[in-house]
Amino acid sequence: MTDVLKIRDLNKSFGGIVVANNIDLDLRAGRVLGLIGPNGAGKTSLFNLVTGVVKPDSGSITLNGDAIDALPIYQRARRGLARTWQNLRLFPSLSVLDNVLLGPRDYPGEKLQSLIFDARGVARRQAENTEKAHRVLQRTGLGAVAHSRVQDIPYGQQKLVGVARALMNDARCLLLDEPMAGVEGQAYAAIQRVVRDIAESGVAVCVVEHNVAFVRDLCDEGVFMFAGKVLARGSVTELIADPRLTELYFGT
Amino acid sequence: MDYFLTIIILVSLFIILAASFDLIIGYCGLISIAHPIFYAIGAYTSAMLAKEAGVPVPVAMLIGALAALVSSIVVALPSLRVSGDYLLIASIGFQLGLIELAKHFHEIGGAGGLTNIPPFLIREVGREAYALLVVVVALLTVWFVRWMATGPYGRMMSALRDDELAFSMLGRNAIWVKVSVFAIGSGIAGFAGALYAHYFRFIEPDQFGLLASSAVLTMVVVGGMRTTWGPVLGAIVLQTLPQAITFFGLPPSVLGPLQGIMFTGLVLVFMFLRPQGLIAASDLWRGRQEGARHD
Ligand SMILES: Nc1ncnc2c1ncn2[C@@H]1O[C@H](COP(=O)(O)OP(=O)(O)OP(=O)(O)O)[C@@H](O)[C@H]1O
Ligand SMILES: [Mg+2]
Repeated sequence: MTDVLKIRDLNKSFGGIVVANNIDLDLRAGRVLGLIGPNGAGKTSLFNLVTGVVKPDSGSITLNGDAIDALPIYQRARRGLARTWQNLRLFPSLSVLDNVLLGPRDYPGEKLQSLIFDARGVARRQAENTEKAHRVLQRTGLGAVAHSRVQDIPYGQQKLVGVARALMNDARCLLLDEPMAGVEGQAYAAIQRVVRDIAESGVAVCVVEHNVAFVRDLCDEGVFMFAGKVLARGSVTELIADPRLTELYFGT
Repeated sequence: MDYFLTIIILVSLFIILAASFDLIIGYCGLISIAHPIFYAIGAYTSAMLAKEAGVPVPVAMLIGALAALVSSIVVALPSLRVSGDYLLIASIGFQLGLIELAKHFHEIGGAGGLTNIPPFLIREVGREAYALLVVVVALLTVWFVRWMATGPYGRMMSALRDDELAFSMLGRNAIWVKVSVFAIGSGIAGFAGALYAHYFRFIEPDQFGLLASSAVLTMVVVGGMRTTWGPVLGAIVLQTLPQAITFFGLPPSVLGPLQGIMFTGLVLVFMFLRPQGLIAASDLWRGRQEGARHD
């Protein structure tokens, strides 16, 4: 089993708040890792550090064996790192389909010269991406709302748009920040099925989630974080049975 | 007749400026009001090349546009790398600084302005031909901005405006998109400046200051940002209105400030009464390949 993402000795603090305290963590291809911990544990911060949104104080991160520490956000994405956001961050001026069409690593027409000198190539790749986007939308149960505005669809489906947008990357490593929060019914089942499928296709997935049942059913393994520290790693059932961790989770 | 041709040329030049400025501030959301300085760079470069170096005017005009494009990259790249907010400050500093500098350079006419700029087309073919040229360039600009805004770049610019961080996380290079759009818009403004210079044959530094900035901004805001015809309408209305005032025969010392007050007043009125401008943009982006649906 290959490590897709390797985090070593990662440290970060904001003033007095330590959000990453000597974190060592590996994400493996084809596996879903659940990241659990109470509010403020540093779960989102870890995603921000990995994706380059926040610069670490020290430590190193490699993706597929290459150091990505010095790369800006967009170049990390182009190497196959994709994520969703706890607070969605969809594009309200765009339809669901257009939100998703911005997702491919290589966006046709991003290079201006290709718009002028290779208009046909751009149009062809654009058509391929549109077909792919429709497949991804079908897969995530969003086929019927492809042309809706993102703010006009239910919250659960908006979360799925975030996932669909990330899927267009064909990422090696996918980070999902609370995909289930506020989601119920059909979207719940859809997200669970999609995440499973992605992992089975060989992607390394990491899911931050407070919904314990969801984490237990979905994840191959869990990691418990508290105050920027990884306290334990193991099967999710074990972690949630550990009285020491539940005490930290629910506070005393 | 000459008077009307001159009005047509002025309106068309402002259409070019407003449409290219809309690409920058409207579609891409880049906050800068220094558009006229790139108009000035195009005008001065082309005028000097034709006048002092004997470069054929069409070639000089293209080099003028290129000079505007390159200098806009020099201004935008460092500030956009830091943060979008710096662009406004950096570009205004560049605009006002360069105007002051130009006033002290006698080689380019200093504060008194550059005179005897070689004309183009007017003598050989006539003013009508020049007016036609400028109108065609204006229409091409409007078409080009629409082409950019409804194509792959339009989708990117909308997303970038909505959420730059989410945009970057998809693998899109936000700085590249911003600098490209700023450079293209500024290059077009430079070409407009060259067209101005070889028709009016006189340019002076003060033409390209904050009054010009507020005029172009007003045209875009009043006409309607992020619409194809908004900047066109804005340019027509705001270029003919001040011309109408001149009929009252007010002294120039009153006319200039009056026009400035008019622009500012109009922006304020529109901000409160009709913030979307005369033509309202749709708040949902639509690409031009909308016919090619696959559902
Ligand atoms: N940019 C920042 N500047 C200052 N403090 C920050 C910043 N980002 C996060 N923090 C702080 O770091 C701590 C960890 O935040 P983080 O969002 O990583 O927690 P989390 O584990 O994702 O929590 P939740 O489950 O509520 O989403 C919090 O106390 C937060 O206020
Ligand atoms: Mg969080």
